[in-house]
Amino acid sequence: MSWDQDAAPSSPHEPGWLGYAAAVAGVAVVSLAIGVILSWARIANVSMLYLLVVLALGTRFGSGPAVMASLLAFFTFNWYFVGPVHTLTVADPDEWLALLLLLAASVVTGQLTAGQRRRADEAHRREQEAVQLYTVGRWLAGAPTLDAALQQVAEYLGRALALQGCAILLVDEEGRLQPRAVVGSEVGGERELPRWLLTADHAPTVAASPRRWVRVVPPARPGAAGAAAAGRFALPLRAGARVLGTLQVVAAPTRPPFSREELRLLEAAADQVALAVERVRLQAEANAAEVLRRTDELRAALLSSISHDLRTPLASIKAAAGSLRQRDVPWSDAERDAFAATIEAETDRLNRLVGNLLDLSRIEAGVLRPEKEWYPFSALVEDVLGRLGPLAADHPVAVDVPDTLPPVLLDYVEIDQVLSNLLENALKYTPPGTPIRVAARVADDALAVEVADAGPGIPPAALPRLFEKFYRVASGPDQPRGTGLGLAVAKGLVEAHGGRLTVESAPGQGTCFHFTLPLGAPPVLVPAEAS
Amino acid sequence: MQARGARILVVDDEPEILRALRTNLTAHGYEVLSATSGAEAQAAYAARRPDLILLDLGLPDMDGLALVERIRDHAATPIVVLSARGAERDKVRALDLGADDYLTKPFGMDELLARVRVALRHAAHPASGSAAVFRSGDLAVDLERRQVTVGGRQVRLTPTEYALLRAFITHPDKVLTRRMLLQEVWGPEYGTEAHYLHVYVASLRRKLEADPQRPRYLLTDPGVGYRFRTEPSD
Repeated sequence: MSWDQDAAPSSPHEPGWLGYAAAVAGVAVVSLAIGVILSWARIANVSMLYLLVVLALGTRFGSGPAVMASLLAFFTFNWYFVGPVHTLTVADPDEWLALLLLLAASVVTGQLTAGQRRRADEAHRREQEAVQLYTVGRWLAGAPTLDAALQQVAEYLGRALALQGCAILLVDEEGRLQPRAVVGSEVGGERELPRWLLTADHAPTVAASPRRWVRVVPPARPGAAGAAAAGRFALPLRAGARVLGTLQVVAAPTRPPFSREELRLLEAAADQVALAVERVRLQAEANAAEVLRRTDELRAALLSSISHDLRTPLASIKAAAGSLRQRDVPWSDAERDAFAATIEAETDRLNRLVGNLLDLSRIEAGVLRPEKEWYPFSALVEDVLGRLGPLAADHPVAVDVPDTLPPVLLDYVEIDQVLSNLLENALKYTPPGTPIRVAARVADDALAVEVADAGPGIPPAALPRLFEKFYRVASGPDQPRGTGLGLAVAKGLVEAHGGRLTVESAPGQGTCFHFTLPLGAPPVLVPAEAS
Repeated sequence: MQARGARILVVDDEPEILRALRTNLTAHGYEVLSATSGAEAQAAYAARRPDLILLDLGLPDMDGLALVERIRDHAATPIVVLSARGAERDKVRALDLGADDYLTKPFGMDELLARVRVALRHAAHPASGSAAVFRSGDLAVDLERRQVTVGGRQVRLTPTEYALLRAFITHPDKVLTRRMLLQEVWGPEYGTEAHYLHVYVASLRRKLEADPQRPRYLLTDPGVGYRFRTEPSD
């Protein structure tokens, strides 16, 4: 199999002779028309009508038919209408001049219109190519996995080029080609990387193949004439000097040779596939590096958090207990009470921290089993606000949780904690007097809950990591310091309920946490009458 | 110290907790027995017949719930279970099996002493609805005439609300699991329709409490149930 690289673009729809036939027919029709017109009136430049035919032919069929029509027009007009008629001789020198002008005008018109036609064709082809490449590029960028993208590209090439088979093979860790996308038959079998792919200058070893194309000669199989006649080609996928794999193509023996445009499409597709493969590899490397960095960061954050958050209450407790044991200091009752109160308060703080740590480890170990029951959300909100009462004394809290909301299947303790963590956050990180709003409504199949404050908001840079454990928004020294656990725990608990916890915040605009809890059909109880 | 001299069996495998409880309870006039395992607890129970048992549910040799069941099989001795936070299911099961109350570790000593006093009082005077009128704070319930007043003003309750309130005041200061309340008010075939219960508790709070968001009487025990807290009558 071979092809001519400079073959003229053959229009796939119409045979070449059609244009010439049209030229003959057109000239004949116009000559008849001229005959009719001349029998009515003597018009000086009636031969100009031929220009219409030439124009149409040039536009429709290109320069060949246009030139032929020009010559035909020249001779026909001479023969039938220029005296002496029915000869090619011309009596009047003026008529000669007119005829030559007709010929010149026709040829120039034909060439000009044919040029326009060529440029229009070229533009159309370029546009098609651009669309094809765009399609390939979009799949490569948009598919959920690389393999899905490769499969789509292989299928597309197979369809667009009417191939018998198309396969994309990538080099694995051992340097062998592994098929990642295979469409059609008789393809994807060559697993060895051809030697030429490994040479530095990758000079194709099959000299007859143009440019980067390499013809893979199929193993001679006696009696398998079809396979032997089919064209099998491989195109390297390369990123810089590295060969990432090959694009293999099998063309049926009956298929016409690839056109220049089709070759361009294949080569461009190979380039795009190579780029996409390289991008995925680089992304994976970057991800691995990021995970390592995060793990290190997390470990450091964990150590700093544990040492601070556990040691601080422990230090207070130890100091208070030690003070109480000092026999040589005559503590007053009030002082003893203060020490005891410190021990109790710090123990509670430690207990909350340990509780959050335990919740987090249960969430992360995936052993969280919400003990769910149907509960009216408004009652839960009342309970939480009642419990937080003293903390919320400095903040006006607006509650928009109608009693008419349907009950929700939830673990009371866990959702109580979600709501408490969100409210405590709002109370802790906004100045006294900042309004806080708790709202719930039904949205589709879920209860949508909002805890919003009109506080200073969260810096946009902090938002993506807000729900990470031990992540704390950087704050001034006089700002309250959290453990970096509350939001991570809240998110884990909401997700264990099949919901989602998200945040919206803008500096100066306040912060709004949203979470959802799926709704279902609660069991129905017939109201019992008092016995 | 109304229950002076009551004998309390403390079951916990943590020596520090045992020591702290023994010291405190003894200082408040109770006689304290201690056991560090289920086997020891059973032996001590059989030999000394305590008036109340403080039982940690996490025992080294047996499930604390099994011990609750075994004791309830033949005696009404009040049992207060101790358990770690997060084990709400165990608490509820212990209560449903007949335990009288629970405390979540770590707990304050005041709270422990209060629960012990309530449990002993219940054992001494089982609430039977003998009094014709129940009073607590500004709330009065006339059980014969089924009349409820708050601060002398009559409150109209639906039959279900009244039945629920009666269930509460029959067990004052005792935590009642949702299952217990559902079965007492609606009947033995109920137990999972807790959302109705919460709705009725909320409406009772609106009718009886001065501030339904910060209730005086009808308290929620998160994840466990409700408790009617009594107050000295006005």
